[in-house]
Amino acid sequence: MSAVPAAAPPKARATVPVGIVLLVLLPLILMPLAAVFVFAFRGGAADFVKVLTSREAQFALRFSLLIAFATAAVNAVLGTYTAYVLSRYRFRGERPLGILVNLPVAIPTVVVGTSLLLLWGPIGLLGRFLEPLGIQPMFAPLGVLLAHLFVTFPYMLGAVKPVLDEIEGTYEEAAYTIGANRWQAFRWVILPALRGGLFTGALLTFAHSLGEFGATVLVSGNLRLKTQTAPLYIFAQFEAGNVAAANAVAAVLAALSFLIFFFLLRYTTRKGR
Amino acid sequence: MEPRHPRRRGLVPAIFLAALLGYAAWPWLPFTRAETTPPTIVFYGFSILADVCQEAIFPAFQKLWAAERGGRVEFASSFGGSGTVTNQVIMGVPAQVALLSLESDADRLADAGVVPHDSWKRLPNAGVVNLTPFVILVRPGNPLGIRDFEDLGKPGVRIVHPDPMTSGGASWAIVAEYGSGARGAPGGEAAGEKVLAGVWRNVVAQAASARAARTQFENGFGDALVTYEQEAIYDRSRGRLAADIAYPQRTILSEHTLVVIDRNVRPAERALVARFVEFLWSDEAQRLFVQYGFRSARPELDAANPAFGTIASPFRIADFGGWQRARRDIVDGIWKDRVMKELGAR
Repeated sequence: MSAVPAAAPPKARATVPVGIVLLVLLPLILMPLAAVFVFAFRGGAADFVKVLTSREAQFALRFSLLIAFATAAVNAVLGTYTAYVLSRYRFRGERPLGILVNLPVAIPTVVVGTSLLLLWGPIGLLGRFLEPLGIQPMFAPLGVLLAHLFVTFPYMLGAVKPVLDEIEGTYEEAAYTIGANRWQAFRWVILPALRGGLFTGALLTFAHSLGEFGATVLVSGNLRLKTQTAPLYIFAQFEAGNVAAANAVAAVLAALSFLIFFFLLRYTTRKGR
Repeated sequence: MEPRHPRRRGLVPAIFLAALLGYAAWPWLPFTRAETTPPTIVFYGFSILADVCQEAIFPAFQKLWAAERGGRVEFASSFGGSGTVTNQVIMGVPAQVALLSLESDADRLADAGVVPHDSWKRLPNAGVVNLTPFVILVRPGNPLGIRDFEDLGKPGVRIVHPDPMTSGGASWAIVAEYGSGARGAPGGEAAGEKVLAGVWRNVVAQAASARAARTQFENGFGDALVTYEQEAIYDRSRGRLAADIAYPQRTILSEHTLVVIDRNVRPAERALVARFVEFLWSDEAQRLFVQYGFRSARPELDAANPAFGTIASPFRIADFGGWQRARRDIVDGIWKDRVMKELGAR
C-alpha cells in the first residue's frame, strides 16, 4: 500500500488524501473481500478444490454462467434495439418509455421476483392459464432467465444509447443517399461504432446476472442440481454453516467479477486514448 | 499504451469468455451427455434435514433401488425453513415429497388445495417420520447459569431464536416455552405466558430457519439458542459445537410430518416415490436418522445413539389438542396477540 503514493508523482502531496481513502476503503471493501478468500483457503488448497468440485458447486457455477451468457445475449439484442428506437425515432410517449425501460434499476429485486411469480407462477395472472397446459416458467431455468432479463435490462441500454446519440447523423445519411436501407445502414454504419458499447453493456449484464440474488431466490425454487444458481448455493451453504463450501464458490464468483471488470477497464481506457 | 491492431484488442477477453462458455455448457453438450436421465425424486425438506438426507438417506435409497430394480435414481432437493418450504410448494415448486417440521404446515398445504386434507395421516405413524426434543444451547461452561426456559427471561440474556413466520422450529419452540410453564406450576396458562414473555423480551435476533439461527449462534452471536436437540447433537458429533446443551425439565418433542404431493408425481414415477416413502420408515432409514441425532418414530431404536439426553417430563403437541388448536390458542392467541403486543407496546 505504501507504493501507491509513489505511483502518483505529479500530484505531489497526495499521500494524506490517498491514505485517507485507503483507510476508509480498507474496512469497507478490501477487508471483507479478503475475508472471503482467507476463509475459502482456510482448509488448505486441497479442501478448496474438493468443495469446489462437488457436483452441486459445479452445477451451480455452470448454471449461473449459462444464465449469464443467455441474459447477456438476449439483452444485447433487446437493449440495442430499444436504444436504437429511442435514439432514432421521435414519437409520443418517448419520454415515459425512456423512463420505463430504465425502471428495473430502481425496483428492488425482491419486488421483481414477487411480480414475476404473481404473473407467471401457478397462481399468477397468466400462469394460471398456462398451468393446465403443462407450461410452468417459474421454478425452472426459464424463470431465472426472465428474472435476470428484467433486472439487467437497463445496462445494455445505458451502454449503447449514449454512443448512438453521439454518432454523427451525417454518416448514416450518407449511407441512405447511396441507397442503403435502414438495416444496411445499421449493420454497416452504426453497428461498427457500437462495438465498444455493446462489449461494455454485455459484460456489465453478464456480471450482474452472475451475482443476481434477490429476484432469483424467489423464482428459482432453489432446487439443488436443477435451478440453484451460484449465489443461491452460497447463501444456502452459508446458512447451513458450511462456510468452506460457501466461500469456495464465493471466491470463484469474486475472481470472475474481478476479471470481467479488468477487461472492462482495459477496453474502455484504451478506447479513450 | 502500445498501439495494437484493433481486432487484437478484444482477443484475450473473447478467448476467455469462449472458454467460460465451453466450461459452463460442457455437461449439456450432445457428446458428453449421459444417454438417459435417470428418474428423479424431487424432495423438499425443512432446514435441519439437509445433512442426513444428502449424506445418508438419499445414498441409502439409491443403493436399495439399484439392488431391487437395477436402475439409477436421482434426487433433486431443496432445504429451508418449514414455512418457506410450505410457501414454495403452495406457489407451485415441483416438490413430490415434502418433509415438514410441523403438521400445521401440512394443514396449510391442504387448505391451499395442494394435497387432500389429512392425506398424510394415512402414511405410517400418521406421517411422522422422526422426532426431536427442544433444548437450549448455551455458551461453553454455561456462564449465565441457564438451565430451563424460565432462566431465559433473566435480564441481560441475549437469545437467538428462529422466526415463527418462516420456521417450523420457531413454532415448536413457542409451544415448548409456553408448555414448560403451563404444565409445571399450578398457575397453568398464566405461568406459560410468563415464560413466553420472559424469553421473547430477550430475543435479539430472528433467523429464517432453525439451521440459520444455529449458524448465527455458531458465529458467536447471542448467549442462548432455542433449537432442536438434533442440531446440537449432530454438531457435537462433528466437533463443531462450541456450546453446552441445557435440557429443560419439561419440553416438547417435535414431530416431523411427511407429505406426498401426488399432483407433482407422474404416473411413471408413482412406484418409485411410493417405495421411497415406505423406505423412510424402514429400519435402515430410521437407524440413519438416529445416527444423525433424530429420535426415531420407533423409540426402541433410540438406544443406538448414546448422545440423547434425558428429559424429565416430555410432552407432545397432542397434549394441547393437536396443532390446529395449539396454533390458534398458543401461537396466535397467546404469543402473537398477547406477548408480542405487550412487548411491542413497551
